[in-house]
Amino acid sequence: MDYKERIELFEKIRADYSVFLLSVLWKLTGDRELFTEAVQYALLGIWQHLGKLNGKKSTAYIYRIALTANSKAWRNRIGRDGQLSHNQIGLARPADQKLDRAELTAKIRQAITQLPNKQATAVVMRYLQQQDYPAISEKLSCTEASARSHVSKALATLKTKLATFVKTGVEI
Amino acid sequence: MSKENIEEILKNIGNENVPVDVHKIAQQVSADFSKTLLQTGKQHIFWEHIMRSSITKLAAAAVVIIACLIGLSVWRTSGSGIALADVLQRVEQVQAFMYKMNMRITVSMGENMPAIDQDMEMTMIISRDFGIKTETITVNGNTGEKSTHTAYVIPHEGIVVTLMPDKKKYMRIEFDDDWLAKMKQENNDPREIIKRMMGSEYTELGRSTIDGVEVDGFHTTDPAMLAGMGENIKYTLWVDAKSWLPVRSEIEFKKGDQMQVHVVVSEFNWDIPVTADDFKPVIPDDFEPMATGMQMPKISEEGLIEGLRLFAELSGSYPKKLSMLELAQETMAFMTNRDVLEKIKEKIPQARGLNEDELDKLDRDEVMMKTMQITKPLQSPGFFYMMLVQDKKEPVYYGETVTPADTDKVLMRWKTSDNEYRVIFGDLRAETVTAEKLAELEANLPK
Repeated sequence: MDYKERIELFEKIRADYSVFLLSVLWKLTGDRELFTEAVQYALLGIWQHLGKLNGKKSTAYIYRIALTANSKAWRNRIGRDGQLSHNQIGLARPADQKLDRAELTAKIRQAITQLPNKQATAVVMRYLQQQDYPAISEKLSCTEASARSHVSKALATLKTKLATFVKTGVEI
Repeated sequence: MSKENIEEILKNIGNENVPVDVHKIAQQVSADFSKTLLQTGKQHIFWEHIMRSSITKLAAAAVVIIACLIGLSVWRTSGSGIALADVLQRVEQVQAFMYKMNMRITVSMGENMPAIDQDMEMTMIISRDFGIKTETITVNGNTGEKSTHTAYVIPHEGIVVTLMPDKKKYMRIEFDDDWLAKMKQENNDPREIIKRMMGSEYTELGRSTIDGVEVDGFHTTDPAMLAGMGENIKYTLWVDAKSWLPVRSEIEFKKGDQMQVHVVVSEFNWDIPVTADDFKPVIPDDFEPMATGMQMPKISEEGLIEGLRLFAELSGSYPKKLSMLELAQETMAFMTNRDVLEKIKEKIPQARGLNEDELDKLDRDEVMMKTMQITKPLQSPGFFYMMLVQDKKEPVYYGETVTPADTDKVLMRWKTSDNEYRVIFGDLRAETVTAEKLAELEANLPK
């Protein structure tokens, strides 16, 4: 494929998935700066993996690209030690203080970046895109029971991470 | 926290609508990326993005510095006459004071770059003995994002330390003796201030009341206020009728259709008690340094030559103009050139010889800071030129016609005494010549 063809294919794939990326990346970030970075990484991911997005498994790859882009954007926001700034979404706080809903939501968004790929994809499909299990299982190429298992394990992991944070105040 | 709570929050996230401005951000990022693909060729897409971010931040920083310099000099240099001279004399007696500055800047950076649209709220504490502390909240007008930072200017150490709590990072920038001299001149020499005050015309607005305080107002639209750097200037200063200290000032000006600036300075507190500790930056243990060895652009002949040399090395020619804004725009434009990007990349040890995937793995902030460090000299010619204009040294620059190949042609000159001029030639050598010799040289300029 020459460069011109690559650009044409990129533009087609970008157009096909623009609504998906807009919606999913905004819901995963909830923050304009993070969102901007995530979109940049997602477009770069599409450009780098054009071949994989033109085949049968394109749906799985676009989720992988979106989730990787989201993780990279969050990684840029978070320091090398894995700790978020005190002034940002990931507010560190004394253990005895209650978290408000906005902080919990931000913590969950942050925690999703640390889930294994299939669990994160399943959570995005189930809750952020409100898909039913038959649709999820088809897109993940697994059984419905496996899809339910991915979601359940993801919720359990998120619960553990959130509980640790609420109890100790230690960042996720 | 139960699974049900988490599910409920996830469902709420799923029900969120995407705000209208986020749609616009996505469209803009997407369009920029497509443009990059068309302009850049097969490689270094990621690199291009880093460069664009670096240069935009560099330009934004330069614009803010210019606006601050203008803001600072403006409220110190308004009008002429005994009354305002008394005000300045009174200000000079104050050891420490604080005020708030609200600034809105809109700058068009040319078709290849997004416009800079920023609202800044700065709280400044100035001590003659210890330095300057500023707390700044910046709101990006394009994205609505808010960021905060605290900067400490420590003149006796020649450094500016900036803390960025949002990123848990800090930055130390050194400034040289020329910057220091400039700052001292701005801050401490009343003769210089009064001399400059005499240069513009103003009207007295009479008595009024601001926040319950009786004030006298002064207003000017004289372009001399900004030494020709801005147009459509409207500047108003209100001074406490009893203490003769400023209460509020407001300035609005533009530069062509490219830059609009609006600054309000208010909430002055005069003669506040301060200690040296108030101006010592406390860097939390978990903050990381953003870069070491960063320096402010040099405001000197040496900086001018260094900047022109780098510009020519990267682009093959000298900048067409040296006014800060036009220089920034020209720099923006050539920074999107693939060959230029490649040359800068080769100057960064971590990036040298890497392909796109390998570049992707580098620490983005580190690469950005390194890029800013390498390209920093490009700002010096603009600052130096601005200083020459302010100091009425009659600088003239011929970058539109003189190239690096025109070794014996006058590229730039400015006045150093009644009958002498400093000349920078096309090969960047510098000489001092008489007015007669200059006339002879300028008669031979390329058309």
